[in-house]
Amino acid sequence: MPIKRYMDRIDAIEKVLGQAKYAGDIHIEGMLYGVIVRSSIPHGWIKNIDFDKALTYKGVIKILTQKDIPGENVYGIIKKDQPLLAKERVRYIGEPVAIVLGEDESIARRASHLIRIEYEKMDVVSDPLQSMNGGVKLHDDGNLLSHRKVIKGDIDRGFRESDVIVERTYRTTWLDHAYIEPEAGLGYMDEKGRLIITSSTQNVHYKRNEISRLLAIPEERIRIIQATTGGGFGGKLDMTVEGYVALSVYHTKRPVLIRFTREESFLSNTKRHPLLIHYKTGAKKDGTIQAVKVDVTGDTGAYASYGSTVCLRVAVHATGPYEVPNVYAESRMLYTNNPVSGAMRGFGVPQIAFAHESQMDIMAKELNIDPLEIRIKNALKRGSKTATSQELGTSVGFIETLKAIEPFWKGRKKSGTRGFGLGSMFYGMGNTGISNPSSARITLTEEGKIALHTGACDIGQGSDTVLLQILCETLDVDGKDVLLVRADTDLTGDAGSTSASRQTYISGKAVQLAALNLRAYLEKEGFYRGRGISEIYRSYRDRGFPPFEGYFDPPTEALDMDTAKGKPYATYAYATHMAEVEVDRITGYVKVLRVYAAHDVGKAINIKNIKGQVYGGIAMGIGFALMEEFIPGKTESLDNYYIPTSMDMPAMEAFIVEDEEPTGPFGAKGVGEPALIPQAAAIANAITDAVGVRPYELPCDLERLKKLL
Amino acid sequence: MTNLVPLNITVNGIEYRLYIEPNITLVDLLREKLGLTGTKKSCNEGECGACTVLMEGRPVASCMVLAIDADNKKIITIEGLAEGEKLHPLQEAFIKYGGIQCGFCTPGMILSAKALLDENPDPTPYEVRRAISGNLCRCTGYQQIVDSVLKAADMIKGNQV
Ligand code: FES
Ligand code: FES
Repeated sequence: MPIKRYMDRIDAIEKVLGQAKYAGDIHIEGMLYGVIVRSSIPHGWIKNIDFDKALTYKGVIKILTQKDIPGENVYGIIKKDQPLLAKERVRYIGEPVAIVLGEDESIARRASHLIRIEYEKMDVVSDPLQSMNGGVKLHDDGNLLSHRKVIKGDIDRGFRESDVIVERTYRTTWLDHAYIEPEAGLGYMDEKGRLIITSSTQNVHYKRNEISRLLAIPEERIRIIQATTGGGFGGKLDMTVEGYVALSVYHTKRPVLIRFTREESFLSNTKRHPLLIHYKTGAKKDGTIQAVKVDVTGDTGAYASYGSTVCLRVAVHATGPYEVPNVYAESRMLYTNNPVSGAMRGFGVPQIAFAHESQMDIMAKELNIDPLEIRIKNALKRGSKTATSQELGTSVGFIETLKAIEPFWKGRKKSGTRGFGLGSMFYGMGNTGISNPSSARITLTEEGKIALHTGACDIGQGSDTVLLQILCETLDVDGKDVLLVRADTDLTGDAGSTSASRQTYISGKAVQLAALNLRAYLEKEGFYRGRGISEIYRSYRDRGFPPFEGYFDPPTEALDMDTAKGKPYATYAYATHMAEVEVDRITGYVKVLRVYAAHDVGKAINIKNIKGQVYGGIAMGIGFALMEEFIPGKTESLDNYYIPTSMDMPAMEAFIVEDEEPTGPFGAKGVGEPALIPQAAAIANAITDAVGVRPYELPCDLERLKKLL
Repeated sequence: MTNLVPLNITVNGIEYRLYIEPNITLVDLLREKLGLTGTKKSCNEGECGACTVLMEGRPVASCMVLAIDADNKKIITIEGLAEGEKLHPLQEAFIKYGGIQCGFCTPGMILSAKALLDENPDPTPYEVRRAISGNLCRCTGYQQIVDSVLKAADMIKGNQV
């Protein structure tokens, strides 16, 4: 049962009216438009840049390069290794080199084409395995960004004691977030000379910090506000337009809008990491998994972005949601001259799930055990130890997700080239083995409202509504009594990024704690005996506005650097999807007919939102499994990057399992990334069931499947 | 600024007489000249449907239409759907049945759906899917959008009874 207080999405009304202001919709009189000039080659020294023609183009106001950056020309969410504007060297196609500012967008764009950059080309490394062997050195500290191991038990003994061993290699490619709103941001100086930026983003406080360093101005002089954001999926976590907007405003003192075209979005945003996964599983005759050895090589492209996070997360999640006594998972992330890969819904877990779920089915087949049975047999449950030796105490609803799917699985009827497949997953909520707190603050208003201040960015998934529901549920008040002040560095505290499916769980908890503080106050003040907020507000004001604050940092433990022993996450979400597909043997076309999806979300806060996440995750999983592939240097737009349309979608049913997490708000965990993670795996298994050949590489598009058939 | 051309266009019932650059697209005219930013631009090449508006009642990708080709035509954008305070049933249904997440596809979606319901007040789920197949959504997996359109159809029928 979900919590009692339900709310329709609070942002929906302005969105259906066409009134919601996305960053690219904002217009300020006298604003300039910026266009980024990018490198056309993957690796080289910049010998010369010829601006003459562009500078004299009518309507061009200024052209900025790295020389114009007053502070440190380097950023990065974990490792600061990426220049805002290329210094003397470019490392990938599309690397920003200059900003052209014009009186209108088409002037800036046309002028940007007049800039000539001369390069001295350098050798290119486009394969992470080749990168590992040295040769071309991409960064001063080498080409290996990150190398992590997860070790548990005795791997050799595990395989010795196994009756069957399955060893396979899996490959995935680059994917693009393809949010429908391309990146955009607007900046200006206010009367006091402060820099104000409104952008499409998944975090405001991080961006303020980066801009402060880039411009060498204190954070207090900068205000970042999240505009209505048209999807993120990880791609708006890194700096997108903000740094360029900030630099442009800094130099022109005029309002500046930068909005990417779809082509610029494809060229510039971070991608899902392509992974090469060697996977070896050993099991007893009865299906008990004894050993898992995994070796992952990932391509993070020219700069770090979230590469090290993905590297670690993939190793930590390598076994999937199964208890395995002996584990040796090793993961490396390499720099190359490819596009920068970063955060994309699941941080590498959808890729590794494709591998561990394929292994599960292969093993089931070898042992002649039903795929559902083998999953149940090995499933994580209370008391299980994960690969990092974390003992799972509470909220392990994995088996319940399998049970929710069981009737459909048992009732399946295979015929012709129609097949069925399962995919399961577990996913750690929040950042991996590091502190990742959120805070919330509540104030009362003179008009008699309860105002929640949260730095959490709603990127379309619905956290605004969910956080207000948690507020209302805790205080036992109606939606009309509350209002939201959101994602504005001047008005809200830091809630951390909208990533790692953490906002419901972590920010939700911070809201609940703040609300409990307020509740105690309201009780004393007679609110629950009928005294109104406006009246209480007056005594509250006389006391100097005591703040009602909440802070939550999920209890995790740092991971050992050599073995990753520890408690990377306070809690995990679990899910199982079942896919039914029909394969056309002649064309290789796969039609996904039906998907059942069961998710352990802890406690449901908003069922409609959860189902919306699940359906959207299934769509993205279908794209990942069957059609999406970003090819560097080739993919330019939605014309050659296909995402699922309404016609590609199957019949879907979502089931919610509620195994409450005691540390979460009302027991809630979350669902954002889990919704996607098991879907491609389920489809790959269904294809195998349908036509007897197994895809080891995604996407399993027409060409690849035809080859297999 | 010399070769501007005259344009007569009715947008959401308001008639505009303008002089425009001959190469400006309808989406840019609406967004940049008329300030109607409810219409979205995402791909600018006819692939995504975010810029869908109704021209003489038919859905068009306004990034693929030159504004001059809309001369003497009637355009409906998302801003023109509600009647005063009263939402169009599609708008109500999208709010109520989860048709909206990030909302960037929503204006185009709703207008494609409106064109469908105007012609076919009682569509099947399949017909709804087909009608919105040119409108990409990256968030919802389309399920709750289809549900919303079907519910809106019910609401409209209910109102007519
Ligand atoms: S913006 Fe017109 S179809 Fe995409
Ligand atoms: S709701 Fe985000 S693209 Fe459709």
